[in-house]
Amino acid sequence: MAVMKTTREIKGIGLPIPRPDGPEKVTGQVLYVADIKPKGMLHAKLLRSPHAHARIVKIDTTRAKALPGVRAVLIARDIPELKRKAATRAHAILAIDRVVFAGQPVAAVAADELAIAEEACDLIDVQYEVLAAAVDPLKAMLVGAPPVADAGTEADTSEALAHSGVAVAKTQTAPTKAVNISQHAKLARGDVAKAFAESDVIVEKTYRVPMVHQGYLEPHAVLAQWDGNGQLTLYSSTQGSFNTRSEVADVLHIEENRIKVIPVECGGGFGGKIRALCEPITAILARVTRRPVRYVMTRREELEAGMPAPQVIIKLKTGAKRDGTLMALDGETIIESGAYSGAVLTMSAVFVSSVYQFPNFEVRAYEVLTHKPSIAAYRAPTAPQTFFAIDSQMDLMARELGVDSVEFRLRHLMKEGDPMANGQPWQSNGARQVLQRLAEHPLWKNRAAWKAKSGQDGRGLCGTGLAVGGWIPGLQPTGATVRLNPDGSLQVLTGQVDIAGTNIALAQIAATAFGIDIDKIKITTGDTDTAPMTGLSAGSKTIYTVGTAVMQAAQDARRQTLEIAAKEMEAAIGDLEIEDGRVVVRGVPDKGVTLASIGKKGNLYMSKVPPVLGVAHPAFAVQAPAFAAQLA
Amino acid sequence: MPKHVLSCTVNDEAVEVLVQPYVTLLDALREDLNLTGPKEGCGTGDCGACTVHLDGQPVASCLMLAMQVRGRQVRTIEGLGGAEALHPLQEAFVRLGVPQCGFCIPGVLMAAAAVLTENPKATQEEIRYGIAGNLCRCTGYTKMLAAITEVAGTLSAKGA
Repeated sequence: MAVMKTTREIKGIGLPIPRPDGPEKVTGQVLYVADIKPKGMLHAKLLRSPHAHARIVKIDTTRAKALPGVRAVLIARDIPELKRKAATRAHAILAIDRVVFAGQPVAAVAADELAIAEEACDLIDVQYEVLAAAVDPLKAMLVGAPPVADAGTEADTSEALAHSGVAVAKTQTAPTKAVNISQHAKLARGDVAKAFAESDVIVEKTYRVPMVHQGYLEPHAVLAQWDGNGQLTLYSSTQGSFNTRSEVADVLHIEENRIKVIPVECGGGFGGKIRALCEPITAILARVTRRPVRYVMTRREELEAGMPAPQVIIKLKTGAKRDGTLMALDGETIIESGAYSGAVLTMSAVFVSSVYQFPNFEVRAYEVLTHKPSIAAYRAPTAPQTFFAIDSQMDLMARELGVDSVEFRLRHLMKEGDPMANGQPWQSNGARQVLQRLAEHPLWKNRAAWKAKSGQDGRGLCGTGLAVGGWIPGLQPTGATVRLNPDGSLQVLTGQVDIAGTNIALAQIAATAFGIDIDKIKITTGDTDTAPMTGLSAGSKTIYTVGTAVMQAAQDARRQTLEIAAKEMEAAIGDLEIEDGRVVVRGVPDKGVTLASIGKKGNLYMSKVPPVLGVAHPAFAVQAPAFAAQLA
Repeated sequence: MPKHVLSCTVNDEAVEVLVQPYVTLLDALREDLNLTGPKEGCGTGDCGACTVHLDGQPVASCLMLAMQVRGRQVRTIEGLGGAEALHPLQEAFVRLGVPQCGFCIPGVLMAAAAVLTENPKATQEEIRYGIAGNLCRCTGYTKMLAAITEVAGTLSAKGA
């Protein structure tokens, strides 16, 4: 396939370039976890609870174990690593004596064929004593609700730490008797009661956004294999191999250096494949059977026991003066976390009081556990839900005040430098620009004419909506290396999982930073043994962080290349440039050495020229808030 | 359960393989014939990722038993083109950057190829109908429709 040629000015960034993995993907050659089948591989199946909350009275695996072709049947007591008070879903490998959501694994089977593993699951007798379940977060957070977690379980704030730039608001301990409130926080500024007393217009509304599955086409899949030295290899459909490695190490109580995670092509994640899910049980089955074991979730299992986005309930009360001056906001954000803690609790609370300039506010945030599958991220965790609530609320306020909703919002949107609810200033804020831009769109300008068409020519009701939203992307340290090959091409290595076309973007960045054509870039996603530490492909930060690492590594490789060329050509580095695969003296295009010759010398036996190896491993402190407005 | 001999043609080659009577066509292709191009996204005929051609017609291979294809012609994504000579649809998909995660792509291509085989000048409306059984989570279908429509040669000068 022809690769689009770059120009002298544009080496990579700014050109539409087809993704290098296109041909593999359209021919069915690209391998996902479920497509990999080492010799002797066994198939795993989990027996899952049909009840949301129940005590396990008895499990009998005798008949399952006797089925020909079954290699292992495990229940909780077979797993020494398993402890009560599991902090995350990954830690709760199998239910111990109580199931806390429908779909929770209670037994695991490895067998020669998937059908045998399925039949073995049918042959396991589990006797349950069904208990009352907490399924509505508003009821679950009350004193006396059926408890979800084991008493004394600590809240999981690891996801919140990844967003530490925003989620710094101090998390308080939960009220002691409401057992299902796993995290609790309060943000406040000014005198809310006084401000409401002085308000002319007060709007109160509750917004509910339901739990939703991310819907990636490829269900979760893992292939686990141990070698004779006790090294575990995991082929995983993950959004971050290094994060998966750490989580699995923590759950299995082994060191990270004993685990190699190979990030296989990921058939979609959208946040749902950030956290480890079925890696631990698959690894344990492989250890017990001493065989490679593959576990692929079914769609039904995904829907019942995946890691969906949380239900978020936001109660808002806002007040303003008749002239439109914002006075006060009183809010409550309730994040339903399912059976295990792990929500980015304060993100919602911070956003609800950091988008518009309310001088007085109080927001109480609760993470509530229910007897449902625990949650994970989904495209800016809790931001869409929160913006939906606060932006709708502002729309209602404008209606009450009889003013234009866009003008009202533009008047009160926070801007760069304004203090967010957690006290930090907005490092940048483009909400105003995107809203202003869309307000000029003909669809918005002509909305009255469109509305007038309601009911005409067989149409239903016609209307136009305009909303603004945003997200403060996460940060994570990350690394990249760039090598110069003997053929004059560049080899870029990261551990970055390409779930959205990011590899071609990284190649473009490397090409531009080094000064080479894009078709001379080979980019590889390495495993956790070979690639430099690379952060998650998540949080709207992949290009912002990994792209920076690749850029710096390519600049480093360029500097080394120029140093070698300068020595060889007896020229000053400052006089050199890279052009058409050669290092030349600026203005003297005849005088130069090829990149290939520099690359070759770095590989030759007895050569005194060092191989070019650009390295970068930045950490980040500055986040890059992003905003968007939508019109429909 | 005793295995059965399945004789059929897959991607223009005669094959003979022992399969369990309860095995789906999709599992037989993936596990027994090592053709992992067709994917299982749901196993219930809802997502279309397992679409293959059976005697030229698109079918959800997860909903068929392998033994139902005895003596019949099966074509998978592996038989639509090759790395050397891509099918025009595959070429357009690569050039227009259609695949993102790629998991739905084998099924979409097989569905689209069936539409164009039956009606090489299919309109965008007909193409939409033809791939209505295929779910894509990443892309929103826009580029996919553009690529198929371009191959169908029905793209108007203004763009459909």
